[in-house]
Amino acid sequence: MAYALQQLINGLTLGSMYGLIAIGYTMVYGIIGMINFAHGDIFMVSAFIAVTCFTLLAAADVSSIPLALMFVLMVTIFFTSAYGWAVERVAYRPLRGSTRLAPLISAIGMSIFLQNTVQLTQGARVKPIPPVIEGGIELWAAPDFTVQIGWSQLLIIVTTVVLMTAFTWMITRTPFGRQQRACEQDRTMAALLGVNVDRTISLTFMLGASLAAVAGVMVSVYYGVVDFFIGFLAGIKAFTAAVLGGIGSLPGAMLGGLLIGLIESFWAAYLWAEYKDVATFGILCLVLMLRPSGLLGRPEVEKV
Amino acid sequence: MSAVVFAHHRMSPAERVRDAAWVAFVALLLGIPLIGLTTVDAGGRLEVSTRFGMLALFVAIAFGGRIALRATVDHFKARKLARQQARGASEATAASTTRRVSTWLGWFALGASIGLPILFSDNRYVVDTATTVLIYVMLGWGLNVVVGLAGLLDLGYVAFYAVGAYSYAILATEHGWGFWQALPVSGAMAATFGILLGYPILRLRGDYLAIVTLGFGEIIRIILVNWTDFSGGPNGISSIPRPSFFGLEFTRRPAEGEQSFAAFFGLDYSPMQRLIFLYYLILVLALLTHVFVSRLRRLPVGRAWEALREDEIACRAMGMNTTNIKLSAFAIGAMLGGFAGVFFAARQGFISPESFVFTESAIVLAIVVLGGMGSQLGVVLAAALLVLIPEFGRNFAEYRMLLFGAAMVLIMVWKPGGLLSHREPTVRLGQREETPA
Amino acid sequence: MKKTLFAAALGAIGALAVPAHAELPVAIAGPMTGQYASAGDQIRKGAEMAIADINARGGVLGEKLVLEVGDDACDPKQAVSVANTMVNKGIVFMHGHWCSSSTIPASEVYVEADIPMATVSTNPQVTERGLENIFRIMGRDDQQGMVAGTYLATQFKGKKIAVVDDKSAYGKGLADEIAKAMTAKGATPALRESITAGEKDYSGLVTKLKRDGVEVMAYGGYHTEVALILRQAQQAGLDLTVMGGDTMTNSELVTAAGPAADKVLFTFSPDPRKNPDAAPVVEKFRAAKVEPEGYVLYAYAAMQLFEQAATAAKSTDYVPLEKALRGGTFKTVIGDLAFDAKGDQQAPGFVVYRWQGGQYDYAK
Repeated sequence: MAYALQQLINGLTLGSMYGLIAIGYTMVYGIIGMINFAHGDIFMVSAFIAVTCFTLLAAADVSSIPLALMFVLMVTIFFTSAYGWAVERVAYRPLRGSTRLAPLISAIGMSIFLQNTVQLTQGARVKPIPPVIEGGIELWAAPDFTVQIGWSQLLIIVTTVVLMTAFTWMITRTPFGRQQRACEQDRTMAALLGVNVDRTISLTFMLGASLAAVAGVMVSVYYGVVDFFIGFLAGIKAFTAAVLGGIGSLPGAMLGGLLIGLIESFWAAYLWAEYKDVATFGILCLVLMLRPSGLLGRPEVEKV
Repeated sequence: MSAVVFAHHRMSPAERVRDAAWVAFVALLLGIPLIGLTTVDAGGRLEVSTRFGMLALFVAIAFGGRIALRATVDHFKARKLARQQARGASEATAASTTRRVSTWLGWFALGASIGLPILFSDNRYVVDTATTVLIYVMLGWGLNVVVGLAGLLDLGYVAFYAVGAYSYAILATEHGWGFWQALPVSGAMAATFGILLGYPILRLRGDYLAIVTLGFGEIIRIILVNWTDFSGGPNGISSIPRPSFFGLEFTRRPAEGEQSFAAFFGLDYSPMQRLIFLYYLILVLALLTHVFVSRLRRLPVGRAWEALREDEIACRAMGMNTTNIKLSAFAIGAMLGGFAGVFFAARQGFISPESFVFTESAIVLAIVVLGGMGSQLGVVLAAALLVLIPEFGRNFAEYRMLLFGAAMVLIMVWKPGGLLSHREPTVRLGQREETPA
Repeated sequence: MKKTLFAAALGAIGALAVPAHAELPVAIAGPMTGQYASAGDQIRKGAEMAIADINARGGVLGEKLVLEVGDDACDPKQAVSVANTMVNKGIVFMHGHWCSSSTIPASEVYVEADIPMATVSTNPQVTERGLENIFRIMGRDDQQGMVAGTYLATQFKGKKIAVVDDKSAYGKGLADEIAKAMTAKGATPALRESITAGEKDYSGLVTKLKRDGVEVMAYGGYHTEVALILRQAQQAGLDLTVMGGDTMTNSELVTAAGPAADKVLFTFSPDPRKNPDAAPVVEKFRAAKVEPEGYVLYAYAAMQLFEQAATAAKSTDYVPLEKALRGGTFKTVIGDLAFDAKGDQQAPGFVVYRWQGGQYDYAK
């Protein structure tokens, strides 16, 4: 029981991280209908920026952890959204209105490009930082097993919940959210009604990148080790999460992320750890067979 | 719309400078965290080191590059516009010229590929690289059936490549089958997997299909890694026998009771003989694939694929069985991938799951899309390009994959429809000739 | 059609690659880029120094050596491509590759082209395939696993020991051998698990280890994952000792794991830096600001091996060279080298080391 609880905490932490990245996929898909394969690498870039920031702060002897975290988050979000903007501008905008597959290939190229840029400029070696937040709370000292939740795990889960709430509010209640949804429905019509479509799409990319940046900071806080290859696996998992939840749906992405985190944790905990990715993809296939547009996705309208 | 690459009016010099300054500013923003700053290992701890000189250089290059790019683009725009006004050329003649040129190019490519090993008969590297290009051509043609013709996005094509390769490897090493016996069986095996995968998921649309195929590719790979008794696990399978030339082995010292190729023809043994044989083998396989696919395109099933790509609902309304049509595309695409896999295993002599990762699927898909979906010659062009860019890049060592990624983006932006794009139906009413190359 | 263009261009490359016969080209190959680039870097530094020294002595048989460097990024397909390039360059000796999964397919190219090779790849399959051109200057995974397994079974008697691998050819091979040796000594592994290399989250594994009361983990795989597992174990309040293989010589482990790296034991050939004959060379490396750790001295030794064998054979042709390599005993910076019929080193020996404050030394 205690063991299961601990695995639940592990799964939630991992799932929150997948969810944060998955939102970037889902928002981009919602608005321009493309799979942004470079999103995982944007996340990777953000983790490098975060590591540089933490190292700078350590050199400057900043000891207040909340202050340091705020600073790193802000700087990382700023630079990462610049990357999100630039990627859209260079690789996707010229392809708007062409075939569905052209931006996909461009995105794969972008992903390879970003990975190698980071490898060249930052080196192939892993980048470690000393633990930023240590310790945690003992939740339950069962006779055979002590359940712990680390402060960093708690931070990840809480941040995710807060961000999710804020995002849902923004999409449903603010003028930007309305414009964003309008562009999702019909770009031409939105443009005719005075929505600046280009700006809305750019902003969507920047927001997606910002969430990836939050995930990047969390990764460097929680795991403390980043390398230029982390974007690939995280990207695939997050993309799977977005599809599982129903691509285009914000709560769906979060739900998908959490589910995948939990499936991975529990499968590895009780069954064969080496087949946990098979389980993830197998469950995805099953869900899609029963619900072809994912758990919370809207069924596609077939226009005749 | 702000500063799009292809502007329609002439810009004043001041505007050009402003535009370039904006690009330089973005370059600065992007450059600070990755170029300007870096972390280095200082005895067990990281330290930040700065490279502001390099950052300044990068920003300057961005500024200068932007001005040069704008000037070139404007220049070409203007020329194109002038030409169009002068000519008012009809689309039809242009299209037929393109088609004639590509037919001509196709024959030329065939001639060149037949002559290549004769010209470079003592250069292992050239023949070997050309063989790799042909493997990708074959994979591209196989995937083209699924993506280019039937319009189904498949991100896990490498799974069928793996099924083919492992079928041959296991049949050959454990059951002593020869290359020629195993080839059709392995192809059938891959096709079976294609149907098995295809059946449950084909009612999914577009990108949902993409992620499930991606997942399927990963599942196959993970099973290959973990099921050690069956596939050798991460060690893979080594010492896979090489194909023989009608029973003649390419070895220096043939086994008891067998004759080697060199001895039979009274030649001196040279390892190049096998390489050249392998090259011609894949060339023949690829050409057979080409003929097979071009014939299929003219048959009802091929026409059904193209119709399905254009409008699935209309197809259903016409009473076509869309499931069977999709399944046939999946199965044939998988079978061709399986054949390529068999050849790959026979040529490498060693296979392991590392050769069947997602990146491989992505590259094959890129070949199909970059070539221009549905274009057979375009696939050849794109395959040659994507294999050769990293190979040429060997001289630039660590920059080669960077160039590769950048080239993928640039080609796509430059020609969004692919290098040789045409989405014309293969067969039209009242017009029976004209095969697209 | 671009095909002729590329044919012409390939021809140009080929023309560039025509060997210049005034000099003797020898080669190294390994992961110069990618995840394991630091190992490739060590090999390159060792080989460069060795060649400079040999040329200063007047070269081999009066000819100067030139070094060719091939990058396979530990990808089997690229390894074959590198091998073909090297054959075209007319190399007479190869030191490499590094990853076993690259060495195996590449060696089939070299054997056809009559090029002898010395490798540090530890997978038994490297020499078990009956190729006559391959010489291993490092021990084998089965020997390594035997030493590690025996050490664990005797030093940690009565403690719970888990055996984990990363599903790579190297990692799984080593972990299987360790488990076998442990069982033979009467210490059955408490847990046998696999992880996926490249992931970052190993909290699931750590929780499992904690539940089962595991104190020692034998690990087959690379150093990055060990660093992550150690950090996450510390966070979960689990005091874990790790026993790894030769890949743990990488100092990145210490940077990434922090103080927890002191919990890492590993097996490696006896430290060549402690070899008194190697002292002048070690000094030379340190003077050049290169710590001769890991594979540096092995690369140096491989070049010495070639120098001595070619001198003994009075030729750099394959047949006499191969005969000399198989027959002779060679004095190198990593000790005396002699090979058995398979091409394995006759007296390899593995020793258990422990990281301590950023340095590794023999474990007590």
